[in-house]
Amino acid sequence: MWLTQVLINALVLGCLYACIAIGFSLVWGVLNVINLIHGSFIVLGSYLAFGLYQTLGISPWYAIIVAAPLFFVLGYLLQFLLLNRVINAPVLVTLTMTFGLDLILNNAMIYFFKADYRKLTLSPPMGSVSLFHAVVPIDRLIATVAALALTGLLYLVLRRLRVGRAIVAVRLDRDAAVLMGVDVKSIYAVAFGLGAALAGCAGVLMALVYPISPLTSSTFLGKAFVVCVLGGLGSVSGALAGGVLLALVEGVGTTFLGPEHATTLSFVLLIVFLIVRPQGLLGRKGFE
Amino acid sequence: MSEGASEILHLDNVSRRFGGLQALRGVTLGIARGEVLGLIGPNGAGKTTLVNTICGVTPASGGTVTFLGKNITRIKTYQAARLGLSRTFQIVQPFAEFSALDNVAAAALFSQPGESLTSAREAARAHLAFVGLEAQATQPAATLTLAMRKRLELAKALAMKPKLLFLDEVNAGLNSAEVARATKLIHELAAGGITIVMIEHLMKVVLNVCTRIAVLHNGQLIADGAPRDVIKNPAVVDAYLGQQYAQRNAAGV
Repeated sequence: MWLTQVLINALVLGCLYACIAIGFSLVWGVLNVINLIHGSFIVLGSYLAFGLYQTLGISPWYAIIVAAPLFFVLGYLLQFLLLNRVINAPVLVTLTMTFGLDLILNNAMIYFFKADYRKLTLSPPMGSVSLFHAVVPIDRLIATVAALALTGLLYLVLRRLRVGRAIVAVRLDRDAAVLMGVDVKSIYAVAFGLGAALAGCAGVLMALVYPISPLTSSTFLGKAFVVCVLGGLGSVSGALAGGVLLALVEGVGTTFLGPEHATTLSFVLLIVFLIVRPQGLLGRKGFE
Repeated sequence: MSEGASEILHLDNVSRRFGGLQALRGVTLGIARGEVLGLIGPNGAGKTTLVNTICGVTPASGGTVTFLGKNITRIKTYQAARLGLSRTFQIVQPFAEFSALDNVAAAALFSQPGESLTSAREAARAHLAFVGLEAQATQPAATLTLAMRKRLELAKALAMKPKLLFLDEVNAGLNSAEVARATKLIHELAAGGITIVMIEHLMKVVLNVCTRIAVLHNGQLIADGAPRDVIKNPAVVDAYLGQQYAQRNAAGV
C-alpha cells in the first residue's frame, strides 16, 4: 500500500524534523533569539558522527552521548560570552550576531571538511523491517525512536527539573523571575546550551538519513523554521505536531507532484499558516 | 530610631537619579528587626524607587545600603531575592499560565538554592492556605480576581522566606472587606516576626498596622517616627495628608 508507506515515512521523518526544530524553538521562545547557527550546529553534529564512525568505529548511537555534552558546552559558552552582551538589544541585533557566527562556523566547515557530500553508511547495513506492509530501514527507525526520546527528555527537563522550571518562568515573565531569585543570564546560557545540544544530537541522527555537507545547513534551518511556525512556538508537542505535518505534506506532495516540489510545498504551507493561523497548531506562551 | 545592632536594614545618604530627575535625595533611614514601617508620601515622592533601589532593580547612584551588616548597594536583583529581601508589586505580576500553586512554588524554588520541586510545592500549599487561596491552587493565575492576585503576590513573597518584606500597595483597588482581610494577614505576618516595609495610601491601614511611619516628599525624607506624631507634623500635613485630614484627625473622627 503506497498510502501506509507515505504515512510511515512521514512519521519517521516527522520525528526527526521535530528533533531538528525543538532546540531552535526553545531558543526562540525563551531568549527571543532567532538562532541562525542552528543549521550549522546540526551539520557539525553530523560530521562528529561521521568522524567518530570513520576513524574510531564508534556507532552513531554512542556518538549522541558524546555530542550532547560537547554541544551543550559550546552553546553555553557562546551565549554566556557573546550573545548575553546583546541579549537586551532589538531582535535584529541578535539576528545579525547569530548570522555572523553562522558564517564563521559554516565557512570553517567548508574549509576543513570541504563542500563534498558524504554519507555515513553503517556496515554491515542493519536491513529493514516491514511495518503494516510498509518497508522501514531499521537504522532510520532507531533514529526516529532516539529523536522521540530526546524530545521527551527535553519535556521532562522543563517540567521536572528546577532549571527547567526556571527556563519556563523566564519565558513567561523575565522580570518576575529575576525578583524570585532566578539568575537570568545563566538561565539564558543553559537554554542556548540545551538548544545547541539538541541540534548536535539531531545532526548525529540526520547523518544516518541525509548526505552530509556544510551546504545542507540552510536546509535544516529552513525546516526548523517551518516546523516552528506550523506547530507553534512554545511547546514540545507543537514541535512534534509541526514536524509530522511538514513531513506529511512533503511526503504526499512528493508522491503526486514529484520530489523537486517538496521545498516549495513546505514554504507555501508556511505562508498559508502565517496568514491563517500565525500562532501555529499548538502555540502557547509557556514552554513545556 | 533604634540602635545599630538591632537594625536589619540601613540606608545611608542614598540617592538615585534618572537622567535629569533626582528621584531620591540623601535618604538616611534605619529599619529595626520586627518593625512594621509605613512608607507614605504623595505620588511620585520616590517610595517605589526607594524599594527598587534596596532590591537592586535600580541601584543607588549614591550612598550605601546595608542589609544584615552586609553592603548590598551594588547587589544584583536575583541575589537580593536569595538574601531574603522580597517584595510584592503595586501592579500584580504572576506567571499568568502557571497555576496559583506553581506560582508560589516557583518563588520558593528559585529563591532558595537546594529547594526541590516537591518540597517547594508542599511549602507553596501552606502559603496558599495562609492567604486563603487553597481552593484556587490549581487555577491558572490569570483567572484569579484582583483581590486574589494580591493575596497570591503575598503568598509568593512569603514563599521566599523573607527576612525583610516590602508590600507595595497591597490594598490598592480592593474593597473594604478585602482590605480588612489583607490587613488581618499583615498583622499575622508581623506577629510572626517578619520585618515589614509597606507602601500604603490608606491611612486607616497605616495607622492600624504600622509601628513607625516614614514620609517621603520629592525624594527626601521629611518625617520619621511614631505614627501619632508623624501625622501631626505640619510638613507632612502640607505635603501629603492635607488640612482636612489633620482637622478631622484632631477632632477625633
